[in-house]
Order: sequence, then structure tokens, then C-alpha cells
Amino acid sequence: MNQVLYILRRLVTLIPVLLGISVLVFFLIQLVPGDPAVTLLGSHVTDAGVAALHQQLGLDQPLWRQYVTFLGRLLHGNLGESYQYKSSVSALVLQNVVPTVWLIVTGALFAVLISVPLAVWAASRRGGAADNAIRSIPLVGLGMPAFWLGIMLVLLLSLKAQLFPASGFGTGFVGHVESIILPALTVALALVPILVRSLRAGLLDVLQSDYITTAHSKGLGTPRVVLGHALRNAAVSSITVLGVNIAYLIGSTIVVERVFALNGIGYLMLTAILNRDFPIVQGVTLVFAVMVVTVNLLTDLAHAALDPRVRLA
Amino acid sequence: MASSTEGPPSDAFTRRQAMVAHEMSRRSMLRLGLAGLGGVGLASLLAACGGGASSSGASGATAPPKPGGALTLVRSQDSVDFDKTMVFSNASIWVYNQIFEGLTIGSADGHNVEPWLAESWTQSDDRLTWTFKLKQGVKFSNGTPMTSADVKFSLDEASGTTGGWEFINSAIDTVTTPDPATIVIKTKYPWAPLLADLACPSNGIIPVNYGGKAKKDFYTAPVGTGPFAWDTWQKGNSLTLKKNASYWRPGLPYLDSVTWQVIPDDNTRNVMIQGGTAQINENPPFSTVDQLKGVPNVTVTLFPSTRTDYILMNEQRPPYNDVHVRRAISYAIDREALVKAVLFGNGTPGNSLFMPTVPYYDKNTPGQTFDMAKAKSEMALSSVPTGFTTTYLASSGDSTDAAIAQVLQASLKQLGITMNISNSDPSAVHDMQNKLNYEISHSYWTMDINDPDELVQFAVLPSGGGHSFNTSYNSSQAQDLATQAQKTFDPAQRQQIYSQLQALLAEDAFLPTLFYQPFPYAMRSNVQGFSVKPTGLYDMATVSLA
Repeated sequence: MNQVLYILRRLVTLIPVLLGISVLVFFLIQLVPGDPAVTLLGSHVTDAGVAALHQQLGLDQPLWRQYVTFLGRLLHGNLGESYQYKSSVSALVLQNVVPTVWLIVTGALFAVLISVPLAVWAASRRGGAADNAIRSIPLVGLGMPAFWLGIMLVLLLSLKAQLFPASGFGTGFVGHVESIILPALTVALALVPILVRSLRAGLLDVLQSDYITTAHSKGLGTPRVVLGHALRNAAVSSITVLGVNIAYLIGSTIVVERVFALNGIGYLMLTAILNRDFPIVQGVTLVFAVMVVTVNLLTDLAHAALDPRVRLA
Repeated sequence: MASSTEGPPSDAFTRRQAMVAHEMSRRSMLRLGLAGLGGVGLASLLAACGGGASSSGASGATAPPKPGGALTLVRSQDSVDFDKTMVFSNASIWVYNQIFEGLTIGSADGHNVEPWLAESWTQSDDRLTWTFKLKQGVKFSNGTPMTSADVKFSLDEASGTTGGWEFINSAIDTVTTPDPATIVIKTKYPWAPLLADLACPSNGIIPVNYGGKAKKDFYTAPVGTGPFAWDTWQKGNSLTLKKNASYWRPGLPYLDSVTWQVIPDDNTRNVMIQGGTAQINENPPFSTVDQLKGVPNVTVTLFPSTRTDYILMNEQRPPYNDVHVRRAISYAIDREALVKAVLFGNGTPGNSLFMPTVPYYDKNTPGQTFDMAKAKSEMALSSVPTGFTTTYLASSGDSTDAAIAQVLQASLKQLGITMNISNSDPSAVHDMQNKLNYEISHSYWTMDINDPDELVQFAVLPSGGGHSFNTSYNSSQAQDLATQAQKTFDPAQRQQIYSQLQALLAEDAFLPTLFYQPFPYAMRSNVQGFSVKPTGLYDMATVSLA
């Protein structure tokens, strides 16, 4: 019950955050030179054409009035209409958000699946060859830009070994799963080094505490001690690290989406910025904001679930 | 909805191809290690991974076209909107051109206009009234027959917009329908480009009153007489048209469906063609054309196009109002070097405002060619003989623009001109050019009709609304020639006027032409019958998969 109230309260605080973001986005994008009407009219742009389009799109109104209109629509759950596609922004975002969510969720999942065993192994062999290898090799992944790593994975696992499709999002659930593996791996490999280091440090810390010594002296085997007692406590700080990095990742999925031709909202955002399609830019930014806040909320909930000392308030 | 991972079974990435790819990618990995990870290195790696030295598979075997199959075309940008009277995006026009057809059609070489939904026409003696006979037995894809009422509605719609394509129809006075098979067009004044104008995609024929729908609903799922009919569109992702079973050209189209899929990344599009998950790549970068030519089962075709690149100089900003300065700059541009650097040799230096793919282009137009001595003597005659400082407005992320700016910067230095380069993103550049808020910059043009008048209006005539291609060039002599050509029907006379105009514009160096470039397309070699006109339009009806 306490938890439900907490979640509700957190969701309510989302409103001022979104409002602030909407103000920022709305006015910041106006600072960028480039007129949506001129962009839409392409090489045949004339003054008459620009004036007519401005009127049609409501761009001839003063800025504050445009913002009020935008806000009014937003309160009705309407994100407005795209300048270029002439269709509802909400529908466009809903259609394109699916691959992005898949990418982020599977990417995070892969990162955890790879990092946890590696960190446990490294911590239990502190200072050994395995520990050194695990601490250094994944750093290569951190140094590789996503567009290059992505292309390498396509080359090796898709064109050469023919294990996965090179691009796109596939059809049906199985198609999605097949198609998401390489992009998710690309995302995960950038997260793994950070996670491994943090989790390993947490484990080493915990392994020196008294209750671990007690557990050992009770006669428990090392695997039981590490997995059953140490990991849970060590994971607390890593969860925060993961949460922060996923929030950061949400903004950077654009590159991975592009390489793998996953046309998610990152791609939608990119073309909208280039075409000065303000309603889409505003809509996608709000969605990104909601995602980041949600990830932070989930992080806090996970933190509380793992550590009873943390009180949700 | 077809996805990127699906290909027609006949064109699947076979095991044998995979072996070749394996072998090549191993070698490429070694090369990559040496070459560093620059963009070009990466592109060549991807191109090379498909195959070795063997030449592209022998296509064009003269087997009869096989009906059926689904074709996927990958491109960098999505369509935006299908209101043919308002949309200027080529990515939209090239798609809706499969749905809507016009009374006339531009010929494949770009130099003529041929009958299409109108099978014949006559012209009155005063050259003001045109009478068209419509082709019989043409139906819309929804089954209703096409009549003159549909034609009148469509032409009136295209003439009545604001800020759309109405400029194409500006000479049309009235459209009347004496009977269901006849259409009469009266022009306000004698108007030579009319037949070419009617072939403009904006003048495609749609059902009268949008077939009973609201305008917006109609263009969300448009209906026309063309070889393909609307199917589905996942915006930002892919768009599919299906075969129009009641199409009037017998036996066509061959394909069951065509899908335009948006793949923004250049390398990813090339990989998809090599892997066979797509059959046509609409935009292979020129930097990868040579490598793609070496890939088995892939052909690269360079279709002659009307795409022409120009240097813009804003004559509202001195010293660009000085013809000697403009000429000096035009002489200082090494166009051959630009063709090599920007198009990787796949183009030709330009000499005229017109391009060789439009009627009335004059190959003897005295456009400036690279000559530093002449450039220096023009500078000496100018108001700024010792040079000046200026800023080039470049599109960020556009490698063409970056190369042009760098070549120009080096050349102009020899004339004492210090050229700074200022980068903005493409939308901002376009906006600043349109507002004449720049000094020197670069832009390009592609024609939509087989008549130079469309370009001449925009580049010369104040009524065209284009601020003389955003340079504010103002020459009454050029304007006289341009209007005279619009009223001249005799081809020889019209040629003479346009030759004069091209020479005048070249001597005024008002818009130095850089180069003429083709449209590159990469295709699987089982794609037959695909060709692109100089306007960029293509007819998917004649395309088949072997």
C-alpha cells in the first residue's frame, strides 16, 4: 500500500517535469534557424507559398499563442499534427516506439546477463588472471563507437555466419526477437564494462564484511555465500549505475537504430529535427522524458526491494 | 507489411553467396586493420565483403518478363504526403507517380512529351485553345471509368492551390468538358510549355470530387488510374503499393507489389542489396558506386538526370553585384576537380543554366571553365581588385557541400579572396538562402517537366517567386527572352531564343553551374525493366523479377 502511494506520488511529480520540458523544447527549437514551411516547400519555395503554409500550420501566430495552443492540446492528450506527414503525432510515436522499447529492454537484459556472471567470477578470483582479463577486455567495448561495433556484428554474425538478420525489425514476435539480438548486443556491450566494474567492486566490498565471514564459518560453500548472501547486497549500487546508464542510453539509441534500420522514435526524432517538424520533436521529447523518469522510478523500486533499509517516502 | 528480413524466395541469400561473402570479409578484415577506420574505409569494406574480382552477374538476358513477385526498394528518406498539388518531396512524388497518371507523359530521354491518358490533341489557330481526346477504357483502380469530368476536376484542383504547384498551371484560363471523352483547355496567352506542364506529376488525374471522399481522406489512401494501387504505409518505415488488377496497359504491371523501405544509413542499404533482402537501392553514395560494381549479382546504373549543382551569389551583398567578381569566381572553380572529388568521376562539368537532359540545352553555351589567368584579369577589372573577405554558407553533414567549399576556398585564395566557411544544418541553410541572408553558397535543381520553362521561371522571372534562384539577379533582357520563349511554338525559333538566354546568363555569371550528375541506382541483377527518367520519375509497371 505504501508502495502504491509512493508510485502514485512519483507519477504526480512527473507533471511539473513534463511541463518544464515542454516549455524548454518548445522555445529552444524556435531558436534554431530554419523555417518548417521553407523546408516543406523544397526547391520551389516562394514567398506566397511560405505565407500560405504559415497560416495553415498556425505558424503566423505569436509564439506565446502557439505555446498555449500546444499546451491546450496536450492537456487533451493530443500531441498535435506532424507538419510533414499531416497526421497525428501520437499515432506516429505509438507506431515507432515499439522497436525503441524492445531495444532498450533487451539491451539492458543482455547487459545484466553478461555482467553478473563475469563480475561474480572476477570477484571470486580477485587479482587472478580471470579477474584482470574481465576487468580489461570489456573496456574495448566501451571504446568502440556503436555505429562501428554494430557494423562489425552485422558483418560477422549476419553476412558471414548468417545467424541473424542484418537489419529491420522482422515480422511477428519471433521476427522481432531475431532482429533485436544484434542491436541489443551492441547496446549491451557498451554497458557491460561499467556494470562489471561496479558490481565487482560492490562484491569485493561485501565479501570482506563480518556476515560473510560468519557465513563461511557456518560451513557454507563459496558459491552459496557469493550468490545467496553477497550478490544481493553488492547489487544495490550497481542497480543505480544501471539505471543511470539506461536513462542515458535512451537518448543514444538513435545511432543504433540507424545502423540496424530499426525505425524507432530515435529515427523519427532525427528526421523531424532535420525537417523542422516541431510537433514530432516535441512529442518524442516528451516520450523520452517519460521513459527516463520511468527508468529512474523502477531503479528506486528495485533499490528498495533489495535493501529493506531504504524507505520509499 | 513486408519487412526487411523477408525477400522473395527466388532472391534469397544463398549458401554459396554466403561462402563468397565469408572469404571476402576475412580478407577485408585484414585490409581494414591497415586502412584505419575512416568512413571510406568502412564503406569499401562493406562493399567488398560481397564479392571479389568477378564482374557483376550477366543481367539483361532476354527472357520474357515473369509476372508476379514482390519488390523492395530501399531509400534514405520516407515519403511525406500524397497531396499531389502540394507536396514537393521527390520521395513522395516518385511513389505517387505509380498511382496517378497524366494526360501526357515525358519521354524517356527528357526531350519530348508523348500522349498518355489523352490519345491525341489539336490546337486552334490562335494557339489559345487545345482540344484533347481521352483514351477509352481507362478505369480508376476502384473500378470507375475515367471521364472528362475527372480530368477537369483534377486540373482545376492543381491550378487552385496557394503555395503549391499552381505555378505550373498559371497559363491555364479555363478547362471545359464538351463530352465525356473530350477536354478543352483555354490558355490566357499562347503557351508553348502546356503539353509538358500536363505531364507534371501535380496534374495527375484523380476521381471527380475525390470519389465522394473528403480531400484529406482521399490523399490518405489515394486512388488513380496507374499500375499500382494504395496498400499500406507505416510512416517512417515502409510503404507498399499493390498491383492494380484493372490497369489499362495490357499485361502490366508484372509485379504483385512494390515496397519502398526507409533505411537512412548508407552502409545498411548497401548491405541489404548485397544480401538480397532488397532489390533496388535508390541512393547508393557515389563513394561506393565503384565498389558496388564489383559485387556479384548487383548492378549499378547511372541514369542521366536533370540534377544540376550551382554556386549561388547574393547580389544584394556587394561585391557580388559586380559582374566581374562573379565571373572571376566562376573562372576560379575547378569543375573537373569537383567532379572527381564529389562525384568520384561520375558526372560532367556544367556550362549552362540548362542541363543536357532538357530540351533546348545548348552545348555551345560559353559558361566559364577553370582558368586562373582569366579569373585574375576579371578581378583586376572589378571594384575589389585586391580581393575581399566573404563567408560561404555550407550545409553541415553534407559531404558534397564540404568538398565544394574546400575547393572553392583554395581557389579564391589565389584571387585575394578570403573565404570563411560557416556550417548550418540543411534546413537552416535553405531558409537563409530563401531569405537572401547569405553571401555565397551552393544549391541544386531537378526538373519536374520536360521543358526548361519551369527552371527559367524560377531562376529569371520575378513572377516565378524564386528571387532569381535566391540571388536577386535582375536582368530585363533575360526576362524578355524568357517570356518570349514561353510564347514561341516553333522549335527552331524557341531554340534560338533559349540559346541567346543561356549565353546571356553564362556571361553574367549569375549562377555558375558546377556539374551535371546522374542518378545512381544499385540493383540486384534479377531486376529487369527498371529505368529512371531525367526528371527522376520511374515506371514500376514494366519492372519484373527474373
